[in-house]
Amino acid sequence: MNRREVLKLGVSVVVAGLFAKSLEAKDFRKEKPAAWKDKTIKKAVKDLFGTDAMDKSGVEVKAPEIAENGAVVPVTIKSVPADTKVIAVLQDADPESLAMVIPVHPRTVPEDISIRLKLKKSGKVVVVAQTADGKLHYDEKKVKVTMGGCGG
Amino acid sequence: MGIKLRFVGKEKNGVTSVKGMVKHPMLSYDQAKRQGKKANFITYMKVTQGGDVVFEASTSQFLSKNPIFKFKFKGGKKGEKFTVYVEDLLGNKAEKSFPIR
Repeated sequence: MNRREVLKLGVSVVVAGLFAKSLEAKDFRKEKPAAWKDKTIKKAVKDLFGTDAMDKSGVEVKAPEIAENGAVVPVTIKSVPADTKVIAVLQDADPESLAMVIPVHPRTVPEDISIRLKLKKSGKVVVVAQTADGKLHYDEKKVKVTMGGCGG
Repeated sequence: MGIKLRFVGKEKNGVTSVKGMVKHPMLSYDQAKRQGKKANFITYMKVTQGGDVVFEASTSQFLSKNPIFKFKFKGGKKGEKFTVYVEDLLGNKAEKSFPIR
């Protein structure tokens, strides 16, 4: 075998190793219990992903600028980088920051995921996507809440 | 109090779009305290189809009451089923299958 052939073989073996294990069912509340108690977005991201270094790119979040009813704030994760493995939704309007964690399975389409959040007051919603290389990408939207979400 | 699941799945061009609601009070610790009740909210959701996990999420007290979810997954054919399973903080579970239209 010439050198090029040997190198090609080596790379394909490494790649196969990385993707051999498909993502099994994961409950992030059990895997990363500390992250769910954190009171700041930065700390929750660190406890969830092991780093709080994030790049503001590759993610698109849709959330209303003004939410009359903080109890029901529609948030849509419009898109994330193609090789995203985990998506986290955080906010700084409630006592704890982490709202939801979505592991991306092979058949999960990581776009147009819509949820409704409960925001106690005005704040920002942050969606973080962790790609296969471990890097974090994010987008954030500020939401002004005219009527708090945890009343009554 | 049973957790009720109401989901609809529509397949188009090889992708199934799902919209659904989980009937649950989603009482945060704050709200529970004020109402003199126990905090309880959906903590985990798993959607399977054809033996695969197609959507999964760990959730918190910060999702709205009777939370609505919209998501998509690859594959699934009209007539096949997908199954939604949820768990809440107090250990209640619910599971229901729905047809893909």
